[in-house]
Amino acid sequence: MAARLVSLACAGLRRGFRNSAAGWSVSVSQTRFEGSTPETRPTVRPRNELQRNQLSQFGEYVAEILPKYIQRIQVTCFNELELCIHPDGIIPVLTFLRDHTNAQFKSLADETAVDVPTRPFRFEIVYNMLSLRFNSRIRVKTYTDELTPLDSLVPVFQAANWYEREIWDMYGVFFANHPDLRRILTDYGFEGHPFRKDFPLSGYVEVRYDDEVKRVVAEPVELSQEFRKFDLNSPWETFPAHREPIELPKLDAGEKKPETK
Amino acid sequence: MAGVLKKTTGLVGLAVAQNPLEKLRIVYTRVLTALEAIPPDAAYRKYTEQIINERFNLIKLEHDVQKVEEKMNCGQVEEIITQAENELSLAKKMAKWKPWEPLIDEAPHNQWKWPI
Repeated sequence: MAARLVSLACAGLRRGFRNSAAGWSVSVSQTRFEGSTPETRPTVRPRNELQRNQLSQFGEYVAEILPKYIQRIQVTCFNELELCIHPDGIIPVLTFLRDHTNAQFKSLADETAVDVPTRPFRFEIVYNMLSLRFNSRIRVKTYTDELTPLDSLVPVFQAANWYEREIWDMYGVFFANHPDLRRILTDYGFEGHPFRKDFPLSGYVEVRYDDEVKRVVAEPVELSQEFRKFDLNSPWETFPAHREPIELPKLDAGEKKPETK
Repeated sequence: MAGVLKKTTGLVGLAVAQNPLEKLRIVYTRVLTALEAIPPDAAYRKYTEQIINERFNLIKLEHDVQKVEEKMNCGQVEEIITQAENELSLAKKMAKWKPWEPLIDEAPHNQWKWPI
């Protein structure tokens, strides 16, 4: 009787094991769960071709009207129109965008600079504008180096006043015809332009209160631990779509190909 | 119903205009004369003349302010007058700047290349 019970139990176990084995083999074959209903909320942003086409048509329209200053037009992957212009064209292009009936970009949303030290004209000044009439945004970009002044946008947009002060303070880009170009964020006697890429993270001076002279003094910065820079490069190529074409050495006419061993 | 004025435009600093269509007619003629100073093959002149003539013809046919606002679909008459005045000042400046000429200078090599 015990043997019968054991055999029953064994049979039960074996059946259970077979069933579970069958289930186990299904998960081992690793099929993805594919539901019967199609995916209604994908996690990828849908492409808005209509907006993209409208923006690129507007960009071409502006480029046709102002060929003297516009060097490049691009529409980013997020459907943002960018006009890259020559620095002499700041005031003409932005006045056109503000006053023309088909543009009416009445609001200067932002004005910043980008420092790319590898380029000869290292600073790229970026203006973001918004058209309330047509609910549309546009970006205008120019370039300059450390010493060349740019025309100030204050006669066109009053909003540019403090933005240009900030760019002067942080990058050192001088704006001609600005009503009041002085420092806005740094301390009163501060030397240097902090947002430049060659300005160190901890700065050059640190301040402390000195009891002997009874005031705040600025001294060269002393770090208790030396600055650690980690080279966080991944072993995988980060931008496969932006590969540089390989430049092979070219042969002039008459030269023979060097013999390889 | 040219005599009936609305009380306010609803926008700060923009007063209700008396005789808005008359004012618009004047400004549009001034814009068209300002555009004469620009060479006829310039894209700016062509497109702006097209816009202004379209709006001008609309005003010539329509005498009711409400209907003009609806057909033009560009906000209230006062805003349309402001747009026309802006276009006038822009046309005068464009005649000085001459933006239809070919590109001043190509960008330096790799200036607009991104990522670096």
